[in-house]
Amino acid sequence: MSVLARLERERIFKWLPFVPVQGLLVVLLLPNVILLVYLSLLSWRITRGAWWNAPFTWLDSFAVALGDERFLWALVRTFGFAAVAVPLELALGFGLAFLCREPFRGRRLYSTIFLVPMMIVPAVVGYDLSMLLIDQGPFNQVLSLLAGRPVTVRWLSDYTAAKVAVIGADVWQWTSLTFLIFLSGLAGLPRDPIRAARVMGATRWQVFWHVELPLLKPVIAIALVLRSMEALKIFDYPMLLTQGGPGNSTETIAVYLWRVGWEFARVSHAAAMSLILLVVVSLYVFVAIRVLRRERRRLAEEGAG
Amino acid sequence: MRRRWALTLARHAALLAWAAVTLLPIYWMLITSFKHSGEWVTWPPRWFPHEPTLINYVKVLTPGTSTFELGRQTLKILKPLWDSLAVASASSLLAVALGSALAYSWVRFGTGGPRYPYNLLSIRMVPPIVIAVPFVVYYVTLRLLDTYTGLVLVYVATSLPYVIWMMLAFIEEVPVELERAARVMGASRFRVLRSVVLPLVTSGLVVTFLFVFILNWSELLLALALTNTEVTTLPITLNKFQSANEGRDYGPQAAIGTIATLPVVVLGFLIQKHLVKGFSFGMIRK
Repeated sequence: MSVLARLERERIFKWLPFVPVQGLLVVLLLPNVILLVYLSLLSWRITRGAWWNAPFTWLDSFAVALGDERFLWALVRTFGFAAVAVPLELALGFGLAFLCREPFRGRRLYSTIFLVPMMIVPAVVGYDLSMLLIDQGPFNQVLSLLAGRPVTVRWLSDYTAAKVAVIGADVWQWTSLTFLIFLSGLAGLPRDPIRAARVMGATRWQVFWHVELPLLKPVIAIALVLRSMEALKIFDYPMLLTQGGPGNSTETIAVYLWRVGWEFARVSHAAAMSLILLVVVSLYVFVAIRVLRRERRRLAEEGAG
Repeated sequence: MRRRWALTLARHAALLAWAAVTLLPIYWMLITSFKHSGEWVTWPPRWFPHEPTLINYVKVLTPGTSTFELGRQTLKILKPLWDSLAVASASSLLAVALGSALAYSWVRFGTGGPRYPYNLLSIRMVPPIVIAVPFVVYYVTLRLLDTYTGLVLVYVATSLPYVIWMMLAFIEEVPVELERAARVMGASRFRVLRSVVLPLVTSGLVVTFLFVFILNWSELLLALALTNTEVTTLPITLNKFQSANEGRDYGPQAAIGTIATLPVVVLGFLIQKHLVKGFSFGMIRK
């Protein structure tokens, strides 16, 4: 038997890692999805006996969910937070990576510092900022110094300022990740097309806009997808920074569902809301995956050509 | 010449500004962890403690579950620290082992079809809160609620998509010709994996492990939902402090924050030169 034929036959390496992974995902996810749908069709609270004895109320929980303004606002707010935080993270991360791409004195020190936030536990970040942002705290003091007059923003009890604080926490922490992604993107740029453009007389700006930026598109896409998917899950910052307050002004969808399910113990309502959230997020997932597939396909085509 | 100086100056001004923004919260946490209770909240704030103290560290690192002092409850973290370490290490190791093997078989054999990594990533995109409610009911039935095994299994599943996406970038860089050559010379497939592939992807494995370790070490929501008293992680402990109604316990909390941050940052510094290579997610031309 030829060596090459034997090579192709070793199908065990194809399936050996696949079976446990797929098994784990099926065992963990499938029953939960079924259970989620089932629970949403019941009228059950944790305080009311066993779930298998609970009566069916069919779509009542969905009616409750869709009539719940606090739920709908939490949904809108979560997307709003992501819509502000993610572009900021991408812009800042890109700018910083761009400034750090060529060697200069102090570059290593800067990039070391910039990478630290992503290594900190988000709950710690939330707690840390809650300490920094108290009314008579160090952050207001620094602002006062910079402004030259007393600044007394009530970061944790003003409706708008608290939103800024939660978004700020996300930006502070995750700009480090976008910085890292763009740093590897810029480091991986092919030299030839850039040099060719320079030789043909293109200005720095033209090279950046017409050569480098298009080459960086896949990297920008992955950073955008990764950050927006995580931003839609924001939970730790509001929980530790503001507990969703003041009022409900920083209550993200994860925080509100946590309250409905655990604090209010309205399990069936929480299940119905979770399903609605799943449908909404699926739209995002569909678009995001299409974007990623397109970019990877393009990379493969150009790599082959 | 003057223009270049101006550019350099502008560059440093911008970088220094962000460095200051980055360092301020870290500095404040560090400094608060060394302060006596009288200096936690003052106006003007104290940027350096008069008498640095280790009392906050001693308080949280002594055995037991909690102490009451002047109406404040201080939680101890020896057990949460151990639990976090055990759960995050076990789940990250398992996820990296399974995920990188799967990434290899996807790159070489197309296991699961061309869309497989995308399907896994789309699972990760769904917010965990969606599944948290039924998960509790399911885990009660399986007797996995509040167990190490239960939490580890969940973390393996949630970190697998990241492992696969980070590792496939490294594995795609391993030349097939090299593997073929070794095979033709008579090496077994296992031998090829160990002696040809593994050395080429080591830095990828290290970076991937660090990244999912950070994720699992930090995870709050699922840990809150799926554990109770038998298993408590560091993020849960911090959250308990924060939702307490008694006076805020800034110093010990700052000590906990510092303890939770230090090991990861040290690990990060050790592998910093690999980090830049590790975060391309297969989105860079070769």
